[in-house]
Amino acid sequence: MNLPLFMGVNMGQYIVRRLLQAIPMLLLVSIVLFALVNIAPGGPMSAYSRTNRMPEENKEAIRRSFGLDKPLPVQYIVWLAGNDWMPVDTDGNGVTDSYGTRKGILRGDFGFSYKNREPVLDEIAARLPNTIYLMTITLLAVAVVAIPIGIISAVKQYSALDNTATVLSFMGQAIPEFWLGLILIIIFYSTLNNPITGKALLPAGGMSTIGADFSIVDRIRHLILPVTMGMVGWVAWYSRFLRSSMLEVINQDYIRTARAKGQVERKVLYKHALKNALIPLVTMFALDFPYIFAGSLYVERIFSWPGMGRLFYDSATSRDYPILLAVLIIGAAIVIISNLLADIAYGFLDPRVRYD
Amino acid sequence: MLKIGHFKKLALVVTLILMATLVFGCAPDETLEAPTEAPSVGEPATEEPAADEPAVKTSITILIPDNPVAFNGINTDTGYEQALGELVMLSLSETDPNGNIIPELAAEIPTLENGGVTFDEETWSMTVTWKLREDVYWADGEQVTADDVIFTWDALIEADAWIAAMDYTESVERIDDFTFIVYYYEGYVFPYYPLQFGGEDFFVYAEHFCDAEAGFYEWNCDDQPLSSGPYILEEWVDDDHLTFVRNPNYFEEGKPYIDQVIVQIVPEEPVKQAMMLEGDADLHYWPAEPASDVYKEPGNGTKYAKSPTERWVMRLIPNLYVKGDRETIHPFISDVRVRRALRMAVDVDTIVNDIFLGYGVPVWNDFFRPPFNGCDIPRPEYDLEGAAALLAEAGWTDTDGDGIRECHGCPNAAEGTVMFMEYAIYAEYGETLELTQQFIAESWNAIGVDTELQIIEGAIMWAEEEDGGTEIAGLFEMDMWDDGYPGTDPADQIWTFYYSESDWNYGRWANEDMDVWIDEFYSLDEEYRLEVACEMASILEDELPQILLFSTLEQHGLSERLQGVLPSANDPVTWNIANWTLEE
Repeated sequence: MNLPLFMGVNMGQYIVRRLLQAIPMLLLVSIVLFALVNIAPGGPMSAYSRTNRMPEENKEAIRRSFGLDKPLPVQYIVWLAGNDWMPVDTDGNGVTDSYGTRKGILRGDFGFSYKNREPVLDEIAARLPNTIYLMTITLLAVAVVAIPIGIISAVKQYSALDNTATVLSFMGQAIPEFWLGLILIIIFYSTLNNPITGKALLPAGGMSTIGADFSIVDRIRHLILPVTMGMVGWVAWYSRFLRSSMLEVINQDYIRTARAKGQVERKVLYKHALKNALIPLVTMFALDFPYIFAGSLYVERIFSWPGMGRLFYDSATSRDYPILLAVLIIGAAIVIISNLLADIAYGFLDPRVRYD
Repeated sequence: MLKIGHFKKLALVVTLILMATLVFGCAPDETLEAPTEAPSVGEPATEEPAADEPAVKTSITILIPDNPVAFNGINTDTGYEQALGELVMLSLSETDPNGNIIPELAAEIPTLENGGVTFDEETWSMTVTWKLREDVYWADGEQVTADDVIFTWDALIEADAWIAAMDYTESVERIDDFTFIVYYYEGYVFPYYPLQFGGEDFFVYAEHFCDAEAGFYEWNCDDQPLSSGPYILEEWVDDDHLTFVRNPNYFEEGKPYIDQVIVQIVPEEPVKQAMMLEGDADLHYWPAEPASDVYKEPGNGTKYAKSPTERWVMRLIPNLYVKGDRETIHPFISDVRVRRALRMAVDVDTIVNDIFLGYGVPVWNDFFRPPFNGCDIPRPEYDLEGAAALLAEAGWTDTDGDGIRECHGCPNAAEGTVMFMEYAIYAEYGETLELTQQFIAESWNAIGVDTELQIIEGAIMWAEEEDGGTEIAGLFEMDMWDDGYPGTDPADQIWTFYYSESDWNYGRWANEDMDVWIDEFYSLDEEYRLEVACEMASILEDELPQILLFSTLEQHGLSERLQGVLPSANDPVTWNIANWTLEE
């Protein structure tokens, strides 16, 4: 099969080379993250000390079950490669008595939560679909709203529409997200009522009405406010970016040529200008791709959305290291992959780009 | 070919259709409604449905901010595990809001009088014989027996879990299906044995259902408990909600009165408050003080409820030694006159009334809860001038006119040492505690004590020493946080905070007399214990190893329709959920 040449380099070779480069990068990131997480003050045993006056020997047993009794480098190796290949001391008497049970993240074993002893991947799997669902719709909504605004602002530069969009963009970037979410709840939940049912116009949070059968309408109603909260800042940013990009493109000679050749304005804008103006936006979207996994803490807390943002925050505050590290390292991997996707996309869209 | 105008029209039509759908698309059919008639106590809230009509079920929604860890009173993190455990799990005994211990799984509370407790004064050993009710069944129809209690106890031992009296208990012996005996080690008397297998921490698990091999911390019963309580867990969506439905095998006939309980996880306070006011929730667990004010307002569909007694006491914890050094005493905190002066400078009434909006009660001694609240310890006065005079008497005066005192003739510091200390609180409590900290710091500044305010994460404050734990490693000078003991007996808490060899005696205060009295407090003679309590109260008042300020209220916001909720400082609010009813 003939793969396209990518700046003179076989695309497959380029991707393989980038992926191979990602391996040592991820390894380095894992070391740094593991060190930072463990060196930071505080620890998972605080939950056993605050209200439970647990004797030292009991705490030692728990620390041993968590693997926290080992030196940090050993903990890192166990986290990475497991300990089913090394003898361990399970009862704390100083004598190794069996082999460990961990396989390590390299073999897909991310360990168990210190809080509830559930497998880390189960905890992530319970929340990741919710975040993907919310953030995908949010990013799509951003694209649907930001692109037309950016185009119109550029085409009708300095018009009333453009000036209004500019002011709203600055407001959108300046408004604290957290405050916006609460205001949305005050308006659309506490104040406005459904004229037919008399109940709140939109729900205060959650993914769906508890106990009710599945309903598309119900799902949409629960999406409106969190998506609105999440997209405002992004729309402001992307619309401004596209406006700048469009302005740069529509003043190019080839656009002037297209108009001179008698092309209709709509075709000039959408076929010639927009396609080129979108190139940097596409790469920006690719770089924001990790948010689909990581979620938005503020949105999830305000609207009680059971997602990855809250999982990350809760694991950080309770020092639930296995979950915290899993979220961080998976997030790092996704960032690396999305950077690669952004580079590939940029190379496809702009033949002038050269990579060595 | 479509023109731009066609797109606009299409977009407009689509938008109108969507808006109409959202406006006229009602919430999915509600199958759960409150009854229109108020049920009287003792009668179920639901009515028998007619043969051709769907049953009308009653349902309430409880709001909590965090996803609970497990149905496990010991492996707790959020503080809500015990509250939810009360819905599905039973223990041998409970405590009501007035401190009375009542049997739950137990047929009666064993005592010396009824022969359930034996005490040998020669060997100083005691036994407790528990008899269980014989009419309690698990949700799968199996009977709850002594085997289940012993199974639970053994699982705790095996997992190195820790509950009160675990180290006093020599063995637990089964006598028959419904009787077992607890033997305590010689020399150990355990006065609050009635709550050893009860209260908020201990739940009885089913021997035939829980996976013993997985162990207490990892077994299936943590998130799929077999119910013996009023409700059965029907659904648990992490970080979203838990749904409980009535247990048809619950031993109290006709109860619970409410068919379904939804526990919804809503992290943010304002959102919880909004849901209460909209009528979408029935209980706001531990609302912040401003929310409690709202629930007290009449006519908004909500009401406020608090426990008759208090539990959580906000206290200043002084480190009598230099921060991070257990050998060198602190230059001024180690002097009891300084501690007394610091206490005199705190206007507790203003804190309670203006910062905590009245949701607190001044407390100045650990023995403030019945039955140990009869000691004659006078309330300390708020007196800035008196505090300043006391500091001067202790050798701390401001000679350079900068408003901060230095050591001039003080007993424990070098001449000229500035009166400065770090003053920390924990972050999770919130703004109210921050304002309190600032207010107190200003008061201290007014009498010449300089402070650096710190807000520390709980995960750091109570971490282990090797993890940089602030308290256990003594990495603090003055802290402020709240604590309180469950149940009705302060013995363990007193030992924890004030026994000289306790690791949790964070201030490293040591008093031989106090140690003796603490040992004496472990007695079965109730009258004697009251005397001992007052002896300890006097010592604590004389030496002020901790400075108690006020107790925050055990309070909840309720919907108007929810009846029978009795908040308790001794147990989670759900302790009597089987008795709750709905009234429109």
